[in-house]
Amino acid sequence: MRTKSTNILPALFTYGFVGLMAFLSVFPFIWMVLGATNASIDIIKGKMLPGEALATNVANFFTLVNVPLVFWNSAKVTILATVLTLAVSSLAGYGFEIFRSRQRERLYSAMLLTLMIPFAALMIPLFIMMGKAGLINTHIAVVLPTIGSAFVVFYFRQSTKAFPSELRDAAKVDGLKEWQIFLYIYVPVMRSTYAAAFIIVFMTAWNNYLWPLIVLQSNETKTITLVISSLASAYYPDYGVVMVGTILATLPTLAVFFFMQRQFVQGMLGSVK
Amino acid sequence: MSELQLTGVRKAYGGLEVIKGVDLDIKTGEFVVFVGPSGCGKSTLLRMIAGLEEITSGDLIIDDIRVNDVDPSKRGIAMVFQSYALYPHMTVRENMGFALRFAGVPKPEIEKRVKEAANILELEPLLDRKPKQLSGGQRQRVAIGRAIVRHPKIFLFDEPLSNLDAELRVHMRIEIARLHKQLAATIIYVTHDQVEAMTLADKIVVLRSGVVEQVGSPLELYDDPANLFVAGFIGSPKMNFLKGVIEIGGDGRAYARLPDHGNEKITVDPKGLKEGMPVTIGIRPEHFKEDGSASLDLAIDMLEHLGGETFAYARHGRGDLIVIETKNGRGLKSGDRIAARFDPACALVFDEGGKRMR
Repeated sequence: MRTKSTNILPALFTYGFVGLMAFLSVFPFIWMVLGATNASIDIIKGKMLPGEALATNVANFFTLVNVPLVFWNSAKVTILATVLTLAVSSLAGYGFEIFRSRQRERLYSAMLLTLMIPFAALMIPLFIMMGKAGLINTHIAVVLPTIGSAFVVFYFRQSTKAFPSELRDAAKVDGLKEWQIFLYIYVPVMRSTYAAAFIIVFMTAWNNYLWPLIVLQSNETKTITLVISSLASAYYPDYGVVMVGTILATLPTLAVFFFMQRQFVQGMLGSVK
Repeated sequence: MSELQLTGVRKAYGGLEVIKGVDLDIKTGEFVVFVGPSGCGKSTLLRMIAGLEEITSGDLIIDDIRVNDVDPSKRGIAMVFQSYALYPHMTVRENMGFALRFAGVPKPEIEKRVKEAANILELEPLLDRKPKQLSGGQRQRVAIGRAIVRHPKIFLFDEPLSNLDAELRVHMRIEIARLHKQLAATIIYVTHDQVEAMTLADKIVVLRSGVVEQVGSPLELYDDPANLFVAGFIGSPKMNFLKGVIEIGGDGRAYARLPDHGNEKITVDPKGLKEGMPVTIGIRPEHFKEDGSASLDLAIDMLEHLGGETFAYARHGRGDLIVIETKNGRGLKSGDRIAARFDPACALVFDEGGKRMR
């Protein structure tokens, strides 16, 4: 029989490792919150204690940034991108899984291959396309390339494997057309999958930086990520203000995650029970 | 009146034919059971009747109308699935009324029909529950209720009891039989459980590899099987099969010599038999009787005492196991040598191809 002392070391190592990983994950948030309460010079000096400059930083942020406009731009782009991505990608995932054929499998494989193409390689052709369509400096240009997400299609197809085919049969016998089966049966049954995908797509869209940086050129169209970046890249950046902006930019994604946490976990484990 | 007719119905997936020309007549109010081993095509045939699988060739006629290309919801059928297929996001009430809502039936009429069905199936207290709050038996009743509210001409059941435990299965079997009487409905029922088939059916359709082997009432199939497959499939424990060779005596009488049983000879009906013809002799376990004129010398391998009766599994030398049902088996034990006697008139003779000789 093993003694207690021989069991302590592995447990200690596990807890130590997990603790370190947790600290590394949480540290940027702690730094962000502490930074927002300090003056820029203190942040540069590496002060890691709460300061007294929070009110000043907040006031400066609201003076430098047209907060309602920037948030409205981000919200518009994010909501449009999320709703359209979920609608298009879930339809595609459902279609690929339910209506199988050799040709569709080839198309699906080709689509998955696009996951291997880095976005940097797509930027220029996409920019030219948007330019020709007259969409540069519009939010549509930000949203359009994100809608047909190969990853989200893949995610929905995998989840659809758990969708019972007998539900579809029962719906057919009940007189539903294919689009009605999708809308009235598939969507409600797969709501956890939608919730998980919603969180992933929402976060990606909200935090999207590189592509909006390229296509959004006027201050009236810029999103929160671009504005924070421009604050950080000023000649004398005020890091206290940047931290306030970062906190504000983080709040919507945090809220979405906390409200939909249960569905997110369910969706990741499999929607259909 | 014939309610449903299948004429030369075939189903092929590419080059693979799974239903190979089925002809069948089902009359109004009949309880027909499709039975057969896994992969025999019974569920596929049911799905073709439902309109969930296309018919490659042949005609499917319901009430004198060819419905091969008619939408499932317009065929006048309702289906109960093996996994119940209840919509998990809807209450029992919504599940039952869903098809009617899509058919444009007015709300008060939907309410009335749901209430009627709930009353028949004793589902009233469960109407506002979701499927996940119900037991297996309750879910099955809801699935049946969902079929009833549509007032279909034909009910289709696809192995509806296979997800239930043994006790509940017996209970639901009785419920379904009661429902059939109460509604006087035409039912087509798929199962691989021959006890279900024997107890529920007016007519059993035995399928093998997409071909109908025999159609008949349960006792017809049991007493008078058309071939070796049906004889072996219907009945539990299954029929015993012994290899034999025909010998015709000078008096014109025919005997089957059993080489695996010390060349024991049993008298058989000579119709269609020739000297030296290889045959298979079929004897049901319950046909072994102490006063039988034929006898097999066997050693008991294993015993199953069920209280009222005993099943003795015995063999001659290294031959196949033979199952014997006896009421007086309590004193038997493994290793005992017995003379298993039976009446040769009860033995069925099958030719080399498995066809019944009669």
